[in-house]
Amino acid sequence: MTTRQRTLKTVLWALIGIFGVVTIARFVGGLGATTGLNDATPWGFWIAFDVMAGVALAAGGFVLAAAVYIFRLEQYKGFARPAILTALLGYAAVAVGLLYDLGLPWHIWHPIVFPQPRSVLFEVAMCVMIYLTVLLFEFSPAILEHRLFNRPLFRTVHRLIKKLTIVLVIAGIVLSTLHQSSLGSLFLIAPHRVHPLWYSPIIWILFYISAIGLGLMMVTLESFFSAWYFGHPLKLKQLSGLGRAAGSVLLGYAALRLGDLATRGGLAQAFDGSGMAALFWFELSLGALVPGLLLMFSRVRSSSAGLLVTALMTVFGVIGYRFDVAIVAFGRPDGVSYFPSWIEIAVSLGVVACALMVFIWLVERLRVYPEDEEPHSPEPTGAVAPRLAGSLRLLLPHSMSAPRRYSLAAMLGAVGAIFLLADGDLFGAQLAATPVSAPRTIEGKLIDHSAARLMVVDGNRDGRGVLFAHDQHVEDLGDKEACEMCHHQRLPFDSQSACSDCHRDMYLATDIFDHSSHINHLEGRQGCSRCHRNADQVKTRETATPCADCHQGMIVTGSSITPPTGGSTGLAVGYLDAMHGLCISCHQRESAADATEPSTGDCALCHQKQAVASWRHIGPYAAPAKPGDTK
Amino acid sequence: MATWLEWARGPIFIGAFSFMVLGYLRHLLVTFFEIRRHLRRAGDRTIPTLQIFVATLNWLFPLRKLKSQWLFSATSILFHIAILVVPIFLAGHIVLWARGTGLSWPAIPNHLADVLTLVAIVTAVALVIQRLSARATRNLSRFQDYALPLLIAVPFVTGFGVMHPGVNPFSYDATLLVHVMSANLLLVLMPLSKLSHAVLLPGAQYVSEIGWHWPSDAGSKVAIALNKEGEPV
Repeated sequence: MTTRQRTLKTVLWALIGIFGVVTIARFVGGLGATTGLNDATPWGFWIAFDVMAGVALAAGGFVLAAAVYIFRLEQYKGFARPAILTALLGYAAVAVGLLYDLGLPWHIWHPIVFPQPRSVLFEVAMCVMIYLTVLLFEFSPAILEHRLFNRPLFRTVHRLIKKLTIVLVIAGIVLSTLHQSSLGSLFLIAPHRVHPLWYSPIIWILFYISAIGLGLMMVTLESFFSAWYFGHPLKLKQLSGLGRAAGSVLLGYAALRLGDLATRGGLAQAFDGSGMAALFWFELSLGALVPGLLLMFSRVRSSSAGLLVTALMTVFGVIGYRFDVAIVAFGRPDGVSYFPSWIEIAVSLGVVACALMVFIWLVERLRVYPEDEEPHSPEPTGAVAPRLAGSLRLLLPHSMSAPRRYSLAAMLGAVGAIFLLADGDLFGAQLAATPVSAPRTIEGKLIDHSAARLMVVDGNRDGRGVLFAHDQHVEDLGDKEACEMCHHQRLPFDSQSACSDCHRDMYLATDIFDHSSHINHLEGRQGCSRCHRNADQVKTRETATPCADCHQGMIVTGSSITPPTGGSTGLAVGYLDAMHGLCISCHQRESAADATEPSTGDCALCHQKQAVASWRHIGPYAAPAKPGDTK
Repeated sequence: MATWLEWARGPIFIGAFSFMVLGYLRHLLVTFFEIRRHLRRAGDRTIPTLQIFVATLNWLFPLRKLKSQWLFSATSILFHIAILVVPIFLAGHIVLWARGTGLSWPAIPNHLADVLTLVAIVTAVALVIQRLSARATRNLSRFQDYALPLLIAVPFVTGFGVMHPGVNPFSYDATLLVHVMSANLLLVLMPLSKLSHAVLLPGAQYVSEIGWHWPSDAGSKVAIALNKEGEPV
C-alpha cells in the first residue's frame, strides 16, 4: 500500500463522512432548506453534474464495447473491462444522485408502470434503467470469474453470458445512443429559455457526438488513474489511437455546432462581445476545438503529458457544455438567480467518492485489468491487538492501522459537515430581519370628503401600506381612554409608546428587554438578585421578576388587548402579528355588538388598493383622484 | 460578546458534542471489528466472562481501593462524582437541553450543585498535588495527567462564577464564554485523550482480556523472530 493510495482513500473516506451527514440533512430538511434551487431553477447542480455530465462521462463503456466487439479492434480489449466498470458505477451514481434531486424519490420507479410515451424524460428514464441492467450483465463475467462462483451453476451462467456478449454490446450501443441524445432532446421543449448560442434544433446530435468524444477521453483519463494508483504501465500506443479517434470526433462536434449556428444565422451573436459569447468560445475551445486540434499532432498524441492535458481539457470542457445548457444558459426571470449550496456540491462529491471507492474495492478483489495476474491486494488491516482507550497520538495517520485511519477520516468529515450545518440556517432557520419604520402622517380625505390627517402604516416600506384614520379612532373611541385601548404598554420613562417602538421587526419577535443596560443601572453584579430573586431557580426570563413590578405603569390596565404572556417576558411579537391582532380582534368585538361597524373579516377593509384612490388622494402634493382611477 | 456567546454555545457546541459522540462511536465500531478479527485468529477462545464482569464492577465502584491509598482514592472518588453529577444534573443545563431538544430530566438543587462544584475544584487541585507529591506517581505521570484535572477545573470555576455573579470580579458574559469554550474543548478531548474512559471504562477489562488471546502459533513465531527456535522458554 503506497502513500498515494493511502492518501486518496483517506480523502475519499472524509468525503464519504461528509456525504453521510448531508444525506440526512437533505432528506430530513428537504430540498428548499438544503439546496439553492428555486421555482425558476428546478434543475440545478445535481442534474447538471450527476445526471447530464455523469451520463456523458460514462459514455466510455459503450464506445469501447463497440470498438472491441463490433469493429474488432482487438488492441483495445484491455481497456474494455475497466471502461465497462466505470460506466456501470457511473450510471449507478446517476441513479443515486437522482434520488437526491427528486422531490419524491420514492416515486423513482413510476416510469415503469405509468408510461408517458410522448415524454423524452420517460425515454431517458427507461433507457438508463435498462442500460444499467445491461452493464451489470456486461460486467458480470469479471464477477463470475471470482473463486466464490467457481461452481457448476455459475459456470453455466458465465458461459451463457459470454455467448450473449454481442447481443449485450448491441443493446448497450442502441440504448446509449437513445438516451445520450435524449438528454439533449430534453431542451427542445424550451427553445426560448436556452440561450441562442446553446439552443439548437440538433442539440440531441451535439450531445451524442460530444459524449462519444468525452467517452474516449475518459478511457484515457482512467488509464492515467490506474497508472497513478495501481502502478499499471501506460499503454501509450493504444492511447494514442484512442486520442486520434477522440480528436476527430471532437473536431466534428465543434464543426457541427458552429456550422449549425452559422446556417441558422446565429453566429453573429458569438461575436457580440457579451459575457455569454465569451463563455461560449471558452467552453467550446476547452472542450473541443483546442484538444481536437492538439490531438491531430502525433507528437501530442504519443506523449503522456499531451494526452493527459487534452483529456483533462475535454472532460472539463464537455462537463462545462452540460452545465451551460442546464444552468448557465438556461433563462430565469429577472431577479432570480441560482448558485448551488455547499450541500449540493458535497452530495455530488460524495456520490463520486463512493463510486471511486467501489471501483477500487472491486479492482482489489476482481480481475478488472487484464494485465493483472491477480487482483490488487487490499491494504492489510494489520495484526494489531484491539485497544480501547484513545490518545492524542491517534491523530497522526501513519502510526494507525487502516480501519483506524479511515474511520477517523470519515468521522472528521462528518463532524465538519455537522458544524457547517449548525453554523448555517438549517437548524433554527428563521426569517431575515425586516426592521419596522414608524408610520408617517399625511393630509388626506375621508370617505365623506372631509379633510383628515391619516396615518400610513407600512412598517416594511414596501409601498403597500394601510391608511389608518388615527384621529377619527381617537374621536370615535372617546379621547383619553381611546389611547389606552390600543397603546397597551409604555416603555420605561415614556408616557406614550408607538407600536413600532416595541414591535420593531415586521415578522420576528423583538426582545425589548435590555439585559446589559439593567446590569449597568442596578449596581453592576450586585443587582442580579433584584430580578433573579430565588437562587434555587434557573435564571431565565420566565423565572425573573416581572418588568411591571419595578416599572409601575408600564402595563396599561383596561387596554383592549392583553399580550398572551402578560407582557412580563420582554418579548414583543412581530409588527404584522401585532397590527392584525389589535385591529382584527377589536373590530370583531365591535361588529358583533353593532352590525353597522365595519368588520375585519374582509382583508380589503384595510388593505385595499382601490381604496387608496377612491377613499381620497394621497398627500398634499398628489393629484386628486379621478373616478375610475385605480392607482 | 453576545454574538461570540451565541456562536460558542450554538454551532461550536453542536460541533464539539457531535465530535464526542461520533468519536466514541468510532472507537466502539473499530474495537468491535478488531475484537472479532482478533478472536477469529486466537488459539484460545474461552473468555472468563464472570471474572471480567467482577473486575469491571470493581473498577466502576472502586470502594476497595479505599483500603490502600485511602486519601488519594477518596479524593478521586469525590472528584469523579462531582464532575459527573454537576454538568448533567444542573438545572440551568437541563433548561438548555429542553430548549434545544425538548428533552429534560430531574435536576439537583442549586445549593447541592454549588457544594459539588467546590468539591470538584478542590479535588482537581488536590489530585494534581497528590500526583506531584509521591515519586512513584510522578514517574508514572505524563503531561496530560496534570493538565486534564486542571483543565476540568476551568469550567467549574467559571461555572461557579456565572452562578454567583456577586462574588465574580469578571464580567458575566466573559466568564460564561470561558465556561462554554473550556467545556467544548473538554468534549473534543474526550474521545482523544485518557478522558475517553468516561464512556469506555466498562469495556476496558474485556478488551484487555481479548488482547491477550494470541494466535496459537504466536509463540513459535516469536521464537523464529528471536532466532531461538527449539530452545526451552
